[in-house]
Amino acid sequence: MSTPPPMAVAPADLRSRVLDSVARTPAPARRVGSRRRFLIIARGIAVAGLVGVAALVHGPEARGRPLAYVAELEALWVALAVVATWAGVGRGRSMLGRPASWKVAVAALTPVALLLAWLPVALAWPATLHDHSGLRSHVVCVLMTFAFAAGPLVAFARLRRASDPVSPRLTGAALGAAAGAWGAVAHAVICGYTSPVHIVLGHVLPVVFLAAVGVAVGDRVVALRAESVSRAIRC
Amino acid sequence: MHVRALGSAHALPATARGTSGHVQPRAGVDVAMERYAAGDDAAFATVYDALAPRLYGYLLRQTGDRATAEDLLQQTMLHVHRARVRFIPGAEVSPWAFAIARRLFLDGLRRLKREPRAEGVEPDARASAEPPADEVVHARELAVRVDRVLAGLPESQRAAFQLIKQEGFSVAEAAQVLGTTVAAVKLRAHRAYQALRVALGDSVRDLQGSEP
Repeated sequence: MSTPPPMAVAPADLRSRVLDSVARTPAPARRVGSRRRFLIIARGIAVAGLVGVAALVHGPEARGRPLAYVAELEALWVALAVVATWAGVGRGRSMLGRPASWKVAVAALTPVALLLAWLPVALAWPATLHDHSGLRSHVVCVLMTFAFAAGPLVAFARLRRASDPVSPRLTGAALGAAAGAWGAVAHAVICGYTSPVHIVLGHVLPVVFLAAVGVAVGDRVVALRAESVSRAIRC
Repeated sequence: MHVRALGSAHALPATARGTSGHVQPRAGVDVAMERYAAGDDAAFATVYDALAPRLYGYLLRQTGDRATAEDLLQQTMLHVHRARVRFIPGAEVSPWAFAIARRLFLDGLRRLKREPRAEGVEPDARASAEPPADEVVHARELAVRVDRVLAGLPESQRAAFQLIKQEGFSVAEAAQVLGTTVAAVKLRAHRAYQALRVALGDSVRDLQGSEP
């Protein structure tokens, strides 16, 4: 602290008004919140699982990749999705969340990291660098990644709802990128196309799109909003 | 009050320190919020007593209107109350509460597209009712002039200056509240200080030693 905090004389009746308002609108204690957060995350994963089952039944058929390729790619992408979730969704040790630079880094670097993680795997199996994917398969994979990411994005947004008074758009972008990473992880299980163009357009680009969608989600859901402030200022 | 921002907080009477009558140590706020988050309902009164005087002063300076400051303070405290469920153990409460208050103020302001009215604040609304000494009268006049200069600055510079000089936050804490870097906060506060120095001349020379 650079100087002692200044004080002002708040009206005497304001204290009782605030405490009365608090008593009228009970909020659960933290232990209840932990259970709720677990349920929210479980539902998000369940939604992604249901989309996965539906995709396995009706989804693209071009598979036939080496099993080790799929396992290595999944291991690397799951690790990246975990890191993106920790850095982008978690608030660290501050109620104000992580610094803006962290959020920007998560939003910008998650797609790049996914691509860089795919590269050594692809180089280890050079045959996977060629496939017959086309525009239609790219578009299908973009939509599938969005579908897989929807559950995590909703879950993350609910976890951070009305919680960020400082930089909600950046938080939303980080949430979108983290959700996109999980979407990419889930979709990579069932998508058999492996060429660089397809990975970039069909799997990595949707993560960028989701980060952009996250900006809007942050603005509408994550941002802390005034309720009657403008009305009060107007009066 | 701006007088305090200019480094003369110690010159003000102790009775100007709010309805609670005493200054809560910072850690006390954090501990009280921790207890409240853990389920101790009675701890919220302690959280209120620790935060309300500072928040009220801050909001009064921002809005220039007591009723609005009261409404914003009430909403800020309700947000703090609702966030009990997700309070992070060990987190600092004051920067968070100020960030909420600032966001609520800016949100309301944005909706109205109206400029803040810092110059409309009566100096004695923020201090004690004790009879002012000559220095205090002079200091209050200076505070009104400072208010006017600050009101003409960009919001980012004004906020950085106010958080550091008037609310007593460290540069790092102000950076948290404003959601920016320490370097950016230093620059903004420095520019605000420079503007004050240009506008007020020697009256603000006392600030020299306390620049961020």
